[in-house]
Amino acid sequence: MASNSPDPEDYRPPGYQLVTWVILGLAVVVVFGLTSIRTDHQPDTSRDYPSRPQLPDVEPVLLPPPPMDDEYFPCSDCHEDEPPNPIERELEDEHDEMDFEHGTLWCLDCHDLNDREKLHLADDALVEFEDSWQLCTQCHGKKLADWRAGVHGKRTGHWRGPKEYRACVSCHNPHSPPFKPLAPEPPPLRPENITPNGNVRLEAAHE
Amino acid sequence: MSSPKQQEEREVRGASRREFLKTAATGAAAVMGAPGAAQAFDFESFLQKNFRQMSDEEIDEVLDRLSRKYSKKYGKDVTVDAVGPMDDVVYGYGLDISRCIGCRRCVYACVEENNQSRDPEIQWIRVLEFEREAATRGIDMEDGNPYYDHETVPAEDKFYLPMACMHCEDSPCTNVCPTGATWSDPDGIVVIDYDWCIGCRYCMAACPYGARKFNWGEPNVSAEDINPDMHLLGNRPRSRGVVEKCSFCIQRVRKGRYPACLEACPVGARKFGNLLDPDSEIRYLLKHKRTFVLKSELKTNPKFFYFYG
Ligand code: HEC
Ligand code: HEC
Ligand code: HEC
Ligand code: HEC
Repeated sequence: MASNSPDPEDYRPPGYQLVTWVILGLAVVVVFGLTSIRTDHQPDTSRDYPSRPQLPDVEPVLLPPPPMDDEYFPCSDCHEDEPPNPIERELEDEHDEMDFEHGTLWCLDCHDLNDREKLHLADDALVEFEDSWQLCTQCHGKKLADWRAGVHGKRTGHWRGPKEYRACVSCHNPHSPPFKPLAPEPPPLRPENITPNGNVRLEAAHE
Repeated sequence: MSSPKQQEEREVRGASRREFLKTAATGAAAVMGAPGAAQAFDFESFLQKNFRQMSDEEIDEVLDRLSRKYSKKYGKDVTVDAVGPMDDVVYGYGLDISRCIGCRRCVYACVEENNQSRDPEIQWIRVLEFEREAATRGIDMEDGNPYYDHETVPAEDKFYLPMACMHCEDSPCTNVCPTGATWSDPDGIVVIDYDWCIGCRYCMAACPYGARKFNWGEPNVSAEDINPDMHLLGNRPRSRGVVEKCSFCIQRVRKGRYPACLEACPVGARKFGNLLDPDSEIRYLLKHKRTFVLKSELKTNPKFFYFYG
């Protein structure tokens, strides 16, 4: 068990006195060293580093959205035979287990009535599922610039060099867009669970 | 924090070659009370010149020696480099507090990337939780709780503020270092040369953000966990009695990469880039978003900006 009053002996290796004298000698050398640098606390901008990389800037690449549940693909499996039904309603025979809450939107504000494999924009132009960001940003125009600049959403890779960024649907479910809560990683140890030399108290470790 | 008595004990027991050097440097001759010095004494690093005084050949020698030493110790190919700053680059960091959900993914990505001791536990990033309504009155860091533990985050009516080194332009920590072991490089990264840190902890007292962490015990990272891509002034292994802190992932960013915490963030709250480049993400957010720095009244001029996205 860890104890509150540590034994002061436990850091003394055998022969420490001899080594202490050796160090005393060395210390004299070091004192000179120290006094020579003490005068200089300012950044030494003149220092020549062994290597200074100069990298080119590269345009970010859009990552394709993560693959969808293939339960519903291809849509035409069913919709070929299913007469398209433009009436806004609660779906019961299919797609009923889906979380759906996106403003006051209805499926066909985004999905195309006649081509289920596609989305459509406000002017009825068709858009592939992979390019759904074009749809999102039609209504969320203010996010477009931020996203392009890398300030909404997320870039990875190189701040200078090749980098990727992510489509809206890799973070937002189009049918229920708020970012979903996550389980947090464990909190740091509380100071009372840390011994004077920085180790975890056994009791805390077994909690 | 710990009781004053504990603190005192630490100071006595923590005596090491670093304490010893301090005593020696101030001219005191009573050095017999510095027995800890005998531990695993490394003469070469003891005699090593301050990084800023070394020639390129000398630096190469040190990097070579350390790479070999750590490769042997951890049984894998370790490289320690000392890649310098790029021309016309000064780094800035942005954190979107309207997105952060307090999941602490950044904390552990940082621990792994930067070889922070697992036990004793050292974490460079601390995520503080605040009452949402408190934000309307202005943020007082003292009210932040780093120990929150919920099933899922964000918790209701809370907001989160991750903190690490602010890489201040007018850094109080570097000014008080008696050995010149910590300084601000031309790209704005406040670095530490662990070989010259004597563990006096003046820098910790001077830092208003609690960013610097002290190795009270012998740090511990398993061979399996060690990240073998190391920078001399960054994530190479530390020893007992030295101070450490966030280096903006110097081993990554000086090769053009994003910091590890940024890549780990699931909500994309973390932004990083060159303050001198008008097309960078960081300049974009400074221009278009409401931004603030912590404790601006202290005129430390942090290069870590919080913003509302
Ligand atoms: C397993 C069969 C099946 C598959 C596969 C399927 N659907 Fe459906 N879908 C249905 C049925 C049945 C309805 C009618 C439900 C109701 O009226 O209650 C429907 C209704 C809809 C509607 C509402 C409008 C309308 O015409 O009724 C949309 C939009 C829709 N589906 C989109 C899709 C998309 C997009 C895909 C492919 C990603 C897809 N569906 C795949 C069976 C399917
Ligand atoms: C805001 C636009 C939008 C609305 C409204 C919308 N969808 Fe979607 N839907 C999408 C996008 C975009 C995808 C592709 C998602 C991806 O790439 O991950 C999709 C994917 C799907 C899929 C494929 C599998 C899946 O669940 O991801 C089905 C089925 C589907 N939608 C049905 C519907 C139905 C039924 C409705 C109405 C209740 C509806 N959608 C409403 C945009 C929308
Ligand atoms: C046809 C217009 C339209 C399209 C297309 C659209 N949205 Fe929305 N979105 C809305 C509306 C309306 C709201 C509700 C706004 C509100 O509650 O203030 C909303 C809300 C949101 C929210 C905020 C949710 C919340 O409760 O905080 C997100 C995130 C979002 N949309 C993402 C998307 C994504 C991703 C897409 C593309 C797949 C998309 N939207 C496509 C109209 C649209
Ligand atoms: C890296 C993940 C990520 C990506 C990619 C992303 N967002 Fe978001 N977005 C978030 C988070 C996190 C929030 C804040 C929590 C929430 O309300 O969902 C948010 C919030 C929003 C909101 C609500 C308003 C606000 O500012 O809080 C809208 C609208 C939105 N995003 C649209 C988009 C659109 C459109 C895209 C694509 C162009 C996109 N997002 C891409 C993570 C992302």
